Amino acid sequence: MLQSIFRECIIKSDIRLLSTVANIQLKERSPNFRCSESNPVNHTVDNLAQFYKIPKEDEKQLFSHGGLTKTFKTHCQTFNETCIMIRKPALDIINSLKHIDYSKPAYRFVIYGSNGSGRSLSLAHVVHYGYKAGFLLVHVPWVGDWMRRCKESSVSTLDESLTDLNLDAALWLTHFKNQNSHFLKEEQFKMSRDYDWNKREKILKGAPLSELIDFGISRVKYASQCVVVLADEIKKLSTSGICKTLVLIDGFNAFFHSNTRIFKEKKQIVPPNKVTLTKPFLNLTNFDWTNAAVVLCLDGIAIGQMDSPSEMPRYLLGKEGFEHVDPFVPIPVNNYNEKEFISCLEYYKDRKWIQQYYPELEKELAFVSNSNPFRLLEIVASL
Amino acid sequence: MASLKCIRNKIQSAFILYSNANACKLTVPHKMMSQYPSYYISPIYNKDIQSAMTKAGETQKLAHIPTRAALIDQTCSLTHDPEVSLMINYIMKDGNKILARSLMEKTFENIKRIQIQKYHKCETEEDRAAIILNPRIIFHEAVDNCKPLMYLTPIKRGGVKYQVPVPISDKRAQFLSMKWLITAAKEKDSTVRFAYQLALELIDAANNTGRVVKKKQDLHKQCEANRAYAHYRWS
Repeated sequence: MLQSIFRECIIKSDIRLLSTVANIQLKERSPNFRCSESNPVNHTVDNLAQFYKIPKEDEKQLFSHGGLTKTFKTHCQTFNETCIMIRKPALDIINSLKHIDYSKPAYRFVIYGSNGSGRSLSLAHVVHYGYKAGFLLVHVPWVGDWMRRCKESSVSTLDESLTDLNLDAALWLTHFKNQNSHFLKEEQFKMSRDYDWNKREKILKGAPLSELIDFGISRVKYASQCVVVLADEIKKLSTSGICKTLVLIDGFNAFFHSNTRIFKEKKQIVPPNKVTLTKPFLNLTNFDWTNAAVVLCLDGIAIGQMDSPSEMPRYLLGKEGFEHVDPFVPIPVNNYNEKEFISCLEYYKDRKWIQQYYPELEKELAFVSNSNPFRLLEIVASL
Repeated sequence: MASLKCIRNKIQSAFILYSNANACKLTVPHKMMSQYPSYYISPIYNKDIQSAMTKAGETQKLAHIPTRAALIDQTCSLTHDPEVSLMINYIMKDGNKILARSLMEKTFENIKRIQIQKYHKCETEEDRAAIILNPRIIFHEAVDNCKPLMYLTPIKRGGVKYQVPVPISDKRAQFLSMKWLITAAKEKDSTVRFAYQLALELIDAANNTGRVVKKKQDLHKQCEANRAYAHYRWS
């Protein structure tokens, strides 16, 4: 009796040993941290915590005017490729974008989380999805650039109480044109009514939308106003069913923080609601249109709070902003979980970024960085 | 017989004097010197060494010997390297250790970036294998390559100062090597960051080229030229 049990035990343990050997071999064959699928439309829950490569041409079209952070770009240069980890927040948004009813008013998703947890990269993942899934992209890479370090400001020509950020607006128009170049060639994208800019310059009804954008880029004086008109036109086009629109704004809370770094002549601070560029994007994030989805990203750094006391939407948006985006789908971005953390370390090792590695180091790194992606990147930099 | 006694007394009194001097040392430490009496042993903070010692049964011997407290940078972290923390201390100004440490970390990062870029540019596997990517290995090699074997010290003979070549202790050689690396990294354009320049110097020195290695070779040449004065060391 005892002997037979003993024998059984031995056989069982043997089988277990064999199975672990098989597992190890499988892992060696296909590195678990990489996803061969570079199209975000096909990403599924099985790809969670894996890195996927953004093709060069996509990156050039989508992110050549911003959208990826500077630190991330330098790392991409050293790693010789642009890879983003597929994480739950981005995948959640992508899955819901696949399934929502576009005849209903625009859905709004709000991404929030602690500094360095990967909000902007999650947004970049969604931008890539939007591009591949055939959305018209209205992507603002970083509102903080407008509200805190604008290139130039001037009193608006049409409304004296407003302030124009014309150079930034023109830059954004080129960004928009670059991202949606394939759409703007189509004939359906045309103006719904006449616009008179001055005595000589006007855009007629039925003119292609690209004419408006080119006008804004070449006549920088009218760039801000062009963005306002463009937002209106996009809304009309989308509601009439010509295109599906995806609005993506990083640092959206800067539109509601009264303390900007835009000044009038006597060094008076201009609040965001007196900036011309605020109007079109608040218009686009409203729910009064269809065939659209809105993804917003909140960030304390966009309003100059490097260590903001809270990362929650109610604090960052304030009462006014919260009421503007309410109701929305909250998408929290957290630090790495265990699987993501290991996958990230594997990726760094593969890219030769971690040179000094011991298995016991994993625990130390997780503890010191609190599994925060950016902190981990900083700590690992010197290893 | 009497003379022998006299000698013994002399020796005894000398011994008492010596031990008194020692006692003085213990109670009144020199200004800016260690606050610990000399019989305090330095701490063993590395966990590997600790476990090895417990296995060998040596910890019991140390249990009741007074031990100094560990310094702030002596951690049991796996990334800890005493030579690197020494370099950090040499870089440090006005006790700003946070800055010094961040500069060293940034240097390692830059070394890695430069080397990885070289790695990706190489086309054959052999070329790639030849490139050292680990910044710490590069650091240690650079410091070793810059260590001088001799140095010159001024000795006055007959009213004239001669630069006399003398052998150098390992610790001093290490100090000079690190100091030269740091001063070389400080000689740069104002637009270039210290951490980047130090990275370049370290990579150069690890390849046995560059300004610091040349400085060492110049010193050796000078020592060779002044070999005629070598006997002034002892006469």
